[in-house]
Amino acid sequence: MIDLAKVSKVFNGKRQVTALENVELSIGRGEMVSIVGPSGSGKSTLLNLIGGLDTPTSGKITIDGSLLSGLPDDDLTRMRRDKIGFIFQFFNLLPTLNCIENVSIPLHLRGWPKKKIDERARELLNLVGLGGRMDHLPDELSGGERQRCAIARALSVYPPVLLADEPTGNLDTHTGADILKLIRDVHARLGATVLIVTHDRNVAESCGRVITLRDGRVVEDRAGLGLTA
Amino acid sequence: MILLKLISWPYIRKHLLRWMLTIAGIVLGVAVFLGMHTANQSVLYAFRQTVDRIAGSTQLQVSASETGFDESVLERVQSVPEVRAAAPVIEASVNTGLKGQGNILILGVDMTGDRNLRDYELESGEAGIVDDPLVFLAQPDSIIVTDTFARQNQLGIGSKVPMSTMEGEKLFTVRGIMKSSGLSSAFGGNLAIMDIYATQKVFGRGRRFDRIDLTVKDGARVEDVKKKIEGMLGPSFQVESPSARGGQFESISHVYALTANITSAFALFIGMFLIYNTFQISVTQRRSEIGILRALGATRGQIRTLFMGESVLAGLIGSTLGVLLGIGIARLMLGYIGSLLGEVFGIAEKAKEISTNPALILFAIVLGVITSVVAAFIPARNAARVDPVQALQKGKYQQMSAGENRVRRITAFVIAILGVACLVFRQSHGLVYAGDALTLLAALLLTPTVAQLVVQALRPLLRWVRPVEGTLAADSLLQAPRRTSGAVAALMLSLALVVALGGMTRASYGSILNWLSVALNPDLFISTSESLTTRGFRFPESMGPQLSGVSGVADVQGVRIARIQVRGMQTIFVAADIAALSRRATLPPTAGNTAEMYRLASQGKAVLISDNYALLRGVKLGDVLDIASPRGVLHLPVAGVVVDYSDQQGSILLDRSVYKRYWDDSTVNLFRVFLTPGASETDVKRRILEALGNQRRLFVLTNREVRQYIMRLTDQWFGITYVQIAVAVLVAVLGIVNTLTVSITDRRRELGVLQAVGGLRNQIRRTIWLEALTIGLVGLILGLALGALQLYFGLRITGEDLAGLRLNYEYPYEISLMLLPVILLAAFLSAIGPAESAVHGSLVEALEYE
Repeated sequence: MIDLAKVSKVFNGKRQVTALENVELSIGRGEMVSIVGPSGSGKSTLLNLIGGLDTPTSGKITIDGSLLSGLPDDDLTRMRRDKIGFIFQFFNLLPTLNCIENVSIPLHLRGWPKKKIDERARELLNLVGLGGRMDHLPDELSGGERQRCAIARALSVYPPVLLADEPTGNLDTHTGADILKLIRDVHARLGATVLIVTHDRNVAESCGRVITLRDGRVVEDRAGLGLTA
Repeated sequence: MILLKLISWPYIRKHLLRWMLTIAGIVLGVAVFLGMHTANQSVLYAFRQTVDRIAGSTQLQVSASETGFDESVLERVQSVPEVRAAAPVIEASVNTGLKGQGNILILGVDMTGDRNLRDYELESGEAGIVDDPLVFLAQPDSIIVTDTFARQNQLGIGSKVPMSTMEGEKLFTVRGIMKSSGLSSAFGGNLAIMDIYATQKVFGRGRRFDRIDLTVKDGARVEDVKKKIEGMLGPSFQVESPSARGGQFESISHVYALTANITSAFALFIGMFLIYNTFQISVTQRRSEIGILRALGATRGQIRTLFMGESVLAGLIGSTLGVLLGIGIARLMLGYIGSLLGEVFGIAEKAKEISTNPALILFAIVLGVITSVVAAFIPARNAARVDPVQALQKGKYQQMSAGENRVRRITAFVIAILGVACLVFRQSHGLVYAGDALTLLAALLLTPTVAQLVVQALRPLLRWVRPVEGTLAADSLLQAPRRTSGAVAALMLSLALVVALGGMTRASYGSILNWLSVALNPDLFISTSESLTTRGFRFPESMGPQLSGVSGVADVQGVRIARIQVRGMQTIFVAADIAALSRRATLPPTAGNTAEMYRLASQGKAVLISDNYALLRGVKLGDVLDIASPRGVLHLPVAGVVVDYSDQQGSILLDRSVYKRYWDDSTVNLFRVFLTPGASETDVKRRILEALGNQRRLFVLTNREVRQYIMRLTDQWFGITYVQIAVAVLVAVLGIVNTLTVSITDRRRELGVLQAVGGLRNQIRRTIWLEALTIGLVGLILGLALGALQLYFGLRITGEDLAGLRLNYEYPYEISLMLLPVILLAAFLSAIGPAESAVHGSLVEALEYE
């Protein structure tokens, strides 16, 4: 599903920083993978490259059979909106829109008819357990609820790939566990390929596969311990 | 200072573009102020220099307004024992036939006595010719030119110079060349000296002089001699030092100076707004930074000083750039002002160089800095009040608290009531200005609230147009009322100005056209120059019967127009045969009985005054005007007030018989000619030129040509208002760009998320375009509404303080309709740059952006 061949990413600032170096990785359809490693090891960069938010300095990335490298911006965006759902640490909900509107945005951007958008948004909010909070603004939700809303938005077109950057990083332990449960649930029900960048050992070990990065290289790739957070 | 370097400089450097846009308001304000005043002062300075240089060693000058006086006055002045030397002078500005030279100032002097006063510094070799004045005098075509003029036109002794005179175009012979110094550099070197008696003849001045220049004997006090001559000649004469004559110029050009002040005040006012807006945003964005500083021990005073320091810096940089731009503007405007003063006010002066006044430059800089500091005062105070604990927490700061909004609304309401009260109880001009200022203030205070309401109302529309982009654009504006209202207020103010000026222009055009059709009804005008305002040449009265004799001419009316001092002000007098005038055209009266007033005026028992004179000078029907003439003071009542736009400062209509008798002047500036039914304008014009054109200089203008000429003058005058409009629109565009730039910085993350969840670049662009268009639309709606109010005040101020025009209120719908696409286009164009920068940034950084 996701294939990386000799992928490197170098940032040219005042100093040259190599964030990823010759990463080779293959993630199969329906896998749930966690990416761990110390700060600055290249986890988020890897996720951004897979999500098409950033482009590699060298190497090839293939998602669901389509090669990302060399795609023009609009095609990259189309690929992203059809195949990838993002979940952020700080939720990134639009503060002026209520839950249903926030979830609707990706569908509006695709030009779906209004009625269908509404049906899908309600269905998703029910799925993540926010059926009773549809008209609430982000300000009126708890941290966990906001992340649920963000997950619903990421699922809006049932994308085959779900990328989560520290999804529980901004939540207390209990809420974090709830969110992880939701993601696992979604993974089980929808069969999406899930990639989670995390610092949390419990979160990491709950995934089927744990990839450890250090200084931009994959240093370990093993099966998860099957812990449930 | 160290805080400024450590804290402010990195921030300024990071937001350099926004900073530059912000100070652009100050740059423009200072530039317009300095530019217009410098250009004006340069012309004034050139005029003064000309007066000084021509004056030579003259200590006092005797003149009688513009009418000139009889030759006999010279003997009376010379008979005063304290007068050492007195010499007569005639000045005339004449068009030369030489290519590229334009006008030359002819100084008619009495060669026998004049060299006691002026040193001609003739080039060696030629001195002999003029040293014997008899030779010069014996040949009436003699002139002395300056060496600058001679060099420019390759003239030598004996060269011929063509000039248009009363006797048609004539060739004059150069019989002397002055060295370039003193006198010869007056009027930019375009100066020629001629014998005074020859001047009288070729310029149709009769046996009259314009002026007597004199010096007093050693031991006599100039002030005493001045009083003595004034006492002897009576109030119709002015006895002044040469330098005092510059003052006349100032009083005449004061309307222009006032307009310049209003324009620059407006630019600065909008500039102040931009600065306020930027500082307010800057304080908001730097809250956490301020919080950290406060947590580290910075006092409120230090924080306030930091922001005030930034504003002083902004003011200084803006003013300095403004000064440079202003000097450029002055250079560009020099020619324009010269011709404006020449054509509208009848003053001939040319300035080739601009003269910068250090005091004026300093004043402009101080003005810019003060504007900036005043604008930053409230944001700086807000910065000082930041609570460190709150500031270090995450949250939204752009929203105004309900309390702040309520206080604003209440204040605005109270101010609006005061403004209306000023209008209702307006006893003085001051109250009209106060009413205007208060209404503006109330509008500004209400801007955030009203702008929010309008955006709220537009949200469904935007949503309907583009569900995602439209909603986001509207929400972005609603979310940050401070950011939005700054740009909206700047736009509102400038559009209000455009509407007010547009309405005033339209109303003035209407009134002037109306007047033209009533008052200017002769078929032909016979004038001494192409422009009706040049009064240097005059026709003899005897030309009237000659014109009547031309076949096709039914009626001829001679008119003498001159500036005469009344109540301490030089005022235009129109001396005409009022009975004949009233048979052809009845000027609509605004006060007085038509039949009665024309009867009294034609009998010489009263005068008629123009409506604008009545308004500007506060003269009413029945008031008695004391008019000093060479034959004593005339006491004439005002029998009627009529609509007449002969002069911006107002005019007085007098029967010519009275003028002839009291001023001993039978000359005429203008003949109004009416044709017999069926006669062709072109044929009669040709016949007049055939009969009289060879004998004397004359211009036959058809009614259409005169109308076009007057409309062109009016356009030239309104040219200044177009500059105001351009400044206003430019500053408004800067405001929108500034707001959008800030808005995009604020929303980088939001826009990043939008792209991350699948927003295409074009969709992001459209969000920003829609945001700009909404700001434009809201600004338009508020601006057009405020403009309606400002137009009312504008008409009152023009009516009562500037030009005395009584104008009807009519909303300029065409201009408003035209503004809609102009502003929306400007808004869209302003959005292109920011939109591109929004879609081209790094997505990863945008998502991490804090």
